[in-house]
Amino acid sequence: MKNRYASFFIFASLLLFAGCAGVTTKPPAESTAPAEQPKPVMSENPAVVALLDRAQRDNEAGKRETSGASLERALRIEPRNPWLWYELAQLRLTQGQYAQAISLARKSNSFAGQDRQLQALNWRLIGNAHVAQGDTPGAEQALKTAAELEQSNE
Amino acid sequence: MPWINSHFNVKSYRKIVRLSALLLLLGLSGYIYYLDVTIREAFEGRKFAVPARVYGRALEVYPGLKLTSGQFAEELKRIGYHENPQPDEAATYKNTWNGLEFTTRDFMFGDGPQAAQHLRIEFADGTVSRLQVRSEEDDDLPLLRLEPPLIGGIYPGHNEDRELLKLNQFPKLLTDALISIEDRKFYTHWGIDPRGIARALYKTVSGQRIEGGSTLTQQLVKNFFLTSERTLTRKATEVLMSLLLEMHYSKGEILETYLNEIFLGQDASRAIHGFGLASHFYFDRPLDRLEPQEIALLVGMVKGPGLYDPRKNPDLALKRRNVVLQEMVKLNVITQAQFVQARRKPLGVVHRAPIGTSPYPAFMQFVYRQLQRDYREDDLRSEGLRIFTTLDPQIQLQAEEALALRLRQIEKTRKIAVNTLEGAVVVSSTQNGEIQAIVGGREARYAGYNRALDAQRPIGSLAKPIVFLTALEKPDRYTLITPLDDSPLVWSQQGTSDWKPQNYDLKFHGLVPLHTALEQSYNVATARLGIELGVKNILDKLPLYGIERQPPPFASSMLGAFDLAPIEVAQLYQTFADNGFRTPLRAIREIVTADGKPLQRYPLNVEPVAAAAPVYLLTAALQGVVREGTAQSLSYWLPADLNVAGKTGTTDDLRDSWFAGYTGNHVAVVWVGRDDNNPTGLTGASGAMTVWGEMMKNLQPEPLQPVVPEEIEMVNVNPSSGLRYDGDCRAGVLMPFIRGSAPGDISDCDFTYADSQKSKESESNDAKVKPGEKQDTGKKNWFQRLFN
Repeated sequence: MKNRYASFFIFASLLLFAGCAGVTTKPPAESTAPAEQPKPVMSENPAVVALLDRAQRDNEAGKRETSGASLERALRIEPRNPWLWYELAQLRLTQGQYAQAISLARKSNSFAGQDRQLQALNWRLIGNAHVAQGDTPGAEQALKTAAELEQSNE
Repeated sequence: MPWINSHFNVKSYRKIVRLSALLLLLGLSGYIYYLDVTIREAFEGRKFAVPARVYGRALEVYPGLKLTSGQFAEELKRIGYHENPQPDEAATYKNTWNGLEFTTRDFMFGDGPQAAQHLRIEFADGTVSRLQVRSEEDDDLPLLRLEPPLIGGIYPGHNEDRELLKLNQFPKLLTDALISIEDRKFYTHWGIDPRGIARALYKTVSGQRIEGGSTLTQQLVKNFFLTSERTLTRKATEVLMSLLLEMHYSKGEILETYLNEIFLGQDASRAIHGFGLASHFYFDRPLDRLEPQEIALLVGMVKGPGLYDPRKNPDLALKRRNVVLQEMVKLNVITQAQFVQARRKPLGVVHRAPIGTSPYPAFMQFVYRQLQRDYREDDLRSEGLRIFTTLDPQIQLQAEEALALRLRQIEKTRKIAVNTLEGAVVVSSTQNGEIQAIVGGREARYAGYNRALDAQRPIGSLAKPIVFLTALEKPDRYTLITPLDDSPLVWSQQGTSDWKPQNYDLKFHGLVPLHTALEQSYNVATARLGIELGVKNILDKLPLYGIERQPPPFASSMLGAFDLAPIEVAQLYQTFADNGFRTPLRAIREIVTADGKPLQRYPLNVEPVAAAAPVYLLTAALQGVVREGTAQSLSYWLPADLNVAGKTGTTDDLRDSWFAGYTGNHVAVVWVGRDDNNPTGLTGASGAMTVWGEMMKNLQPEPLQPVVPEEIEMVNVNPSSGLRYDGDCRAGVLMPFIRGSAPGDISDCDFTYADSQKSKESESNDAKVKPGEKQDTGKKNWFQRLFN
C-alpha cells in the first residue's frame, strides 16, 4: 500500500516535472506538456545570455558535451548565478549523470537565496535524479520538499 | 691418400665458395630488406609525428569585464599579434585613443571553429566599455573569445617540434630556392648523385674530410637517424636507403617530407624541424608571408643550422643568406630587381628568449601527469593532439614574480645566504577549481624540482581548520564563541611518547573563545579540542576533502605533523573556499584531435562534502585570522575590505613557512622553505604570507563575501562572556550562529557595565577584544561590516 502510494506520487511528480522542467533544455518530445512557467531572466549580462543561447542550440542538436562547455564558460563569467548551475544540473540529468546532477542542483540551491521557484526546480530535479537512480525514499523526500516550496511560492 | 685429400679439398672449396656466395647474397638481400623496412617505417612515422600542442585559457572579453587597455594589448602580444597601422590582416592590432582595433585569427576551438573578425574594443575606468565588429554598421558584440596562448608542447623523439604542411602550402619560391641550392638534379636523379658520391669517395680515399654530395633524399635519410657519424659504411647505408626511398615514394612525397622534417634550429631543449615551424620560430609569421630574403635565410640554414643561426651568429647568417640570394638570381628564381632589394634588407629575425618545450614547466608537468593517466605516451607525442588547459599566463606571471621578488627581499633583509630559500605557489579559481598558476620554484623557467607537486612538507597549522570545522559541525556543542581551554596539556597515546603541545609564544592562555583560538593559532586549545572530538574522527575526514594521503593516527597530526605537497593543500582549502563543495582541481578542460574532433572533456564536477553553515562559520573565523590574528600584517598588501580568509602555518624550528587563503575569486597556497630542510627563521606570516600578499595584490582580487546559508543567523553577543544581548544593545558584537546554537538567555544591556567587564576579561584571556574600539564604533564592528 505504501509502495503503491509512493510510485503514484513519483508518477504524479514526474508529470509535474515535465511541465516546468524544460527551461532551456527541454527535449522536443515533451513540447506538448502543460503550460510552462514564465521563463525567468537568467542573466543580465549579454555575454552570459549569448552563451546560454549557444548552449541551448547545441543541446537541441544533441551536442551535449559542447553545450556543457558553453555553460561552463558562462559560469566562469558569473560563478554565483544559480540559474547557470541549474542549467548544468539539467544537462547532466539528460546525460544520465545522476549523482552529478544532484550535486549541481544543490550547488545551484546554495546560491538561490530566497528564490523559491528555482529552489523548487532544483529539488524536483534532485527528486527525478533519485528516481532514475532507483532511490525511492530519496526521491520522495526531494519531491516533497519541491512541492512544499511550490506551495509557499504561490 | 693425398690425392683424395686434395680432390676433396678442391671440391669442398668450390662448395664453400658457392655456399658463401649464396649466404652473402641472402645476407645482403636480408640486410637490404631490413634497411627497406627501417627506412619506410621512419618515413611513414615522421610523416605523421606531430607533437601535442598545449594551450592556456582563452581570454574571454565582454563589456563590463575588469580589464585595462594595457592588459588587453599584452594578451594580444602574448598570442602573437603585431602592431600595424592597418589592422585588417589576421593577428594585427593598433592602439586608438580609448582602446584598440584588431583582427583575430581563424581558430579551431574544442567546440568548433571560430572565424577571424575585424573588431574594436574600448575601455573606461579599468573595464571594457564597448566591443564591436568593425563593419559599415559597427555591430555590438556581446562576447569575444580570443585565441588561447600556446604554452607548450609534448614532443616526439628528442623533443622534436614541427608543424606539418602539405606540399602545395609551401611557397614555390622556397622549393625552387632549396632545389637550386641543395640539389639541382632532384627531379631527375634516383635518390643519389653518382658524381657527387664519386667526388666524396675520392676525397675520403685521398684523406681529405668526408663531405657533401648529398641529394635532398640523402639528407632526409640522414635527418631521420640523427647521427653525425661519418664513415663509409654509414654513407653506404645512406645511399642504399635513399635508393629504396625513391623506389617507394614519389618526388612530391619525398620533397614534402623533407620540407617538414629538416632540422633548422634549437630552442633550448626543443628542436625546430621543418620550414613551417622555422618560419614562426625565426620570423613569427607563417611561411606564405615571408619575403625572398627571409626564405633565402631559411634555405641557407639547411647547411648548418647551428653555424648559421641568425640569433647567435648574425654575420655568418647574413653572408650565407646573400650567397643563397646570389644563386637564386643566377638560376632566375628571383629577378635582378628582387635580388637588389632583398640583399639590402636586414635579417629581420624576431628576438625572443628561448623557451624550450614550455615557459611554464611546473604547470606543464601537472598537465602531463594527468595526461599520462589517460593516454599512451606515443599518442601524446605524435598524434598532434590539441590540449586546452586552464593556465592563466597573467596570473602565472604574477605568482612567479611575487615568489622571486619576496625571496630575494627576505634573504636581503634577514641576511640569509643568497639563493638558499625556495618556494612554491599554486593558484586556483575559487568557484570551479581550475588551476590558474603553478610555480615550482623561484627559477620558474627552469624545469627542475617541482616543489608545488613534489615537495611534501609538514603542513603545521594549516591543518587546524579541519579540527575547527569538525567542531563547528556540532552546533549543539560548539559555536564561534565556545570557550576552549588553552592550559597545559599532557596526552598519552599508545604507539607514541607523551605529547605536550606548546604554543608558539610558549605561553598558555586559559579560556579563549573558539574563534580566537583559530585566529591566534593556539596549539594547546586546538589539541584539546581535537582530542575531545576524537583524533580518528577528524583525520578520517581528509579523504572527503580530497586528501588521499592518510596521516599517522596520532594527536600531533591535528597540528599538522604530517606531510602534504602545496597542490594537496590547495585542494583542501578549495573545499573551504567553495562553501563545502569539493571540486577536484583541474588543469585540463578538453582534448581535441589534430583534425578538430573533440576527444575528451574534463567537465566541472562538484560534490557537497561539508554542510554550508559550518563552513560559513569556519570562513568567518579564517577571515578573523587575517583581520586580527596571525595574518594581520597581510593588510600591508591588501585592503581590509577584501575580507580575505587565510591561515598561516609554521613548522618546528621554523623549517616550513606556509600560507593558504582565499578571496572571492582565487584560492592560493604558498610554501617557503629550504630544499635541505634546514630552518629558515621564517614563520608563516613572515615568509609565505608575504609572497601571497605580494602576488594577490596584482591579481585583481574580488572581496570574499560567502553566501549566507539559511541556517545561519546573526546574533548580538558579548564575544568574551558568551552572553546574548538584545538586537539593539550597543555593547555587543554581531556574530554568525547556526540557528538554535546562539546563547539562549538574553542578558540586560548594561552598556557601561558590559564594557568594563569586557575590559577585564580581555586582559585575563588575551582574547584580543579591544573594548575601546567597540565603544567608538558601537555595533559598527567587523562582523557587522562583514555579514550585513
